[in-house]
Amino acid sequence: MIPGGALMIFVIVVPILLGLYMSVLTLDQYTLRQWLSAPFAGPGNYIEAVTDSPLLKSFWISLSFAVLSTAAAVPLGIAAALATQNYFPGRAVMRSVFLIPFVMPSFVVATVWRTMFQPDGVIVNGLHSVGITSGLWLNGPNSYWTLVFVEVWASWPFIYLLALAGLQSVDHDVHEASALDGASWWPKLRYVIFPYLKGPVALACVIATLNHINNFALPFVLFGIPAPDDVQTLPILTYSTTFESFRFGLGAAMAFSSLMLLAIPLIIYVRAVKLDVDEGADK
Amino acid sequence: MRRTNKRKDSMETKKTKFAALTSVLAITALVVTACSGSSVTSSPSVATNPSAVTSSSIATATPTPINGAGQTLTVLIGADGKYGAQQQQWFKDVSAAFQTQTGATVNFQTFASGSEELTKIQTSVVANQGPDIYVVGTTFTPTAYSTGAFVSLTPDDWNKVGGKDKFVPADLGISGPTDSDQVGIPYTSGPFVMAYNTDLLAKAGIDKPATTWDGLAAQAKQLTGNGVYGMAVGYKDGFDPWKFIWAMSRQAGNPIISGKVAKVDDPTTLKAYQTYFGWLTTDHVVDPASVGWNDGQALAAFASGKAAFFPMSTTSNIPTLKTSAVKDTYKFALMPVVPPGATALPAGGAGATSILAGNNVVVAKYSKNQDLAFALVKYLTDDANQQVLFNTFGTMPVNQTTFTAVTTSNPALGPILDSAASSVATPFSGAWADTQLALMNVVVQTIPDLSSGSVSTSKLQSLLTAAQKTAQASLDKAP
Repeated sequence: MIPGGALMIFVIVVPILLGLYMSVLTLDQYTLRQWLSAPFAGPGNYIEAVTDSPLLKSFWISLSFAVLSTAAAVPLGIAAALATQNYFPGRAVMRSVFLIPFVMPSFVVATVWRTMFQPDGVIVNGLHSVGITSGLWLNGPNSYWTLVFVEVWASWPFIYLLALAGLQSVDHDVHEASALDGASWWPKLRYVIFPYLKGPVALACVIATLNHINNFALPFVLFGIPAPDDVQTLPILTYSTTFESFRFGLGAAMAFSSLMLLAIPLIIYVRAVKLDVDEGADK
Repeated sequence: MRRTNKRKDSMETKKTKFAALTSVLAITALVVTACSGSSVTSSPSVATNPSAVTSSSIATATPTPINGAGQTLTVLIGADGKYGAQQQQWFKDVSAAFQTQTGATVNFQTFASGSEELTKIQTSVVANQGPDIYVVGTTFTPTAYSTGAFVSLTPDDWNKVGGKDKFVPADLGISGPTDSDQVGIPYTSGPFVMAYNTDLLAKAGIDKPATTWDGLAAQAKQLTGNGVYGMAVGYKDGFDPWKFIWAMSRQAGNPIISGKVAKVDDPTTLKAYQTYFGWLTTDHVVDPASVGWNDGQALAAFASGKAAFFPMSTTSNIPTLKTSAVKDTYKFALMPVVPPGATALPAGGAGATSILAGNNVVVAKYSKNQDLAFALVKYLTDDANQQVLFNTFGTMPVNQTTFTAVTTSNPALGPILDSAASSVATPFSGAWADTQLALMNVVVQTIPDLSSGSVSTSKLQSLLTAAQKTAQASLDKAP
């Protein structure tokens, strides 16, 4: 208890408290050097973050992008897990190949896709060759869908991994029993297999959504700074405010506001899917 | 923001041997100077290098011998992506020479990106410890100044680095808010110029590039056709767009920031944006694909002979151009200095050929080795090392002696050197970083309209109003 508690205090609590303290200071390039004695701003940074900055818009962009990415990745991941569940020649290779997007660093993924999404890049030219004029993918409204697409491409193997782990836990007797009962593939999938996947996939959804929201490298490399308005996610806004405009206090307030805003749906969701281990154990 | 230094690296690889020779001579000069213990030395080694012989900086290399034995100076400097091996060798050469001179070693730390540079600077400022010397972009100097973390240079400090007189006067333009309140010591210069295709111009009967933006657009129209565009521009570049806007506005008499007042929504700036975007939407003199190009892609278009003009170029592009399809048919010229819509420089306008681009060095207040740091800065900015930097990395010298020697011996670089001498500094304000970002944001948010072929005045004005608000708010926060 004591080692764990001390670790938690130094690794989590202290940085959070320091960040919280920074968020109530007028901390910028003029006061950074003597930051402990920077003027106290009270709730000023929070008020500015909510009322006079794009924070709320960025919040919705991040949340919607994250939920959409997760929603799109789930069927892909489950389908891939089901496809590689039963043995066939080359299964090990296919399982490894599926993991490639997930193990590639975000900045590499973003760099490659940024090159392909250029106005005279392979994607635009490819679409044009089949009669589709696609417009810009790295600026304007399409940039949002570019972000979702690339995020899904890079992250679906995570869902796949956890779904595969769920499938491994299905008891062999269950397969035999459903076969003896004459269940066809869909009822078997729907009523036998999916219940086993519910826990792992729900956990994967929560983790994946949080990862999407916190993904800084992907939009940063794909779109640069300043980012197009449509893809100014929370991490990008916080970074830009903090490290480009040098509003360290405001940036900290934005980070904490984001944390609070995201905590609400997260807590509701976690409780709804009963990921609370203790609660589950009590039942 | 920052980062005028990202593209002012180098130029002529054919001079590598000469650079090595110069490097050896420079080090030899230092060794001899140090060994003699005298401030005035005319060693045989130095005498073999004409520029070194005429260098007042070498002659005053060690006004007060400094004993740095056992000490280490740390220098934070941008990694040179194009000349990485040469830079590593230069680090060793400088460290060896300085150790011989003072007994101190020099530890060079590099950063690969602006973000990394900012993070290191901010961390050091907060922790009150870190590198002794920082090499920062000229446009970042106001921000560095505003942190109060760097030494405000006294006359004595300037003497320690060889005196203000040894620098090209224009390069001191972004050292501080006033002549007597400065933190940045010029280190390298990287003025912007315009490359043009002599062959294409000759075929079109154009003898030289225009000196007005309107004239340039007219020439570009004349040159556009048969798969060739008049200009190569990177609208998606992270830095170039604001430089065009600033130059045109400044030429029209609008410095963007005047005292405590931001003037981003000034009609001159609106006109600058309209002109810049108009090259694509109304003049049709740039490739439509350039809405997604950065500076490198625009350079590639020019280098392949598909564009007649490549404005906002630096000497760092020379290695690319020298091995390109236009290797025998390109030249440099000054960018136009007459603002859009005018035929002559208006009253109050500045004939800005370029932003004052390059790098300054700043010395940290927390450094316990400030005298030693100034001694190193002196070495870095003395004639011998400035020659090495010019020959190895292509950076323009800030040392007046070196500048004169280079001007005399490199007539082909005339426009670049002219631009260096007539560059105009961006406003020295802690709010400049925010303002620069706001200017860039206008371009970023306009690109979809640009791509569709029309940028409405109302949308532009709306974006400029937002940018003005950002810039003014940042100015209001300045002490």
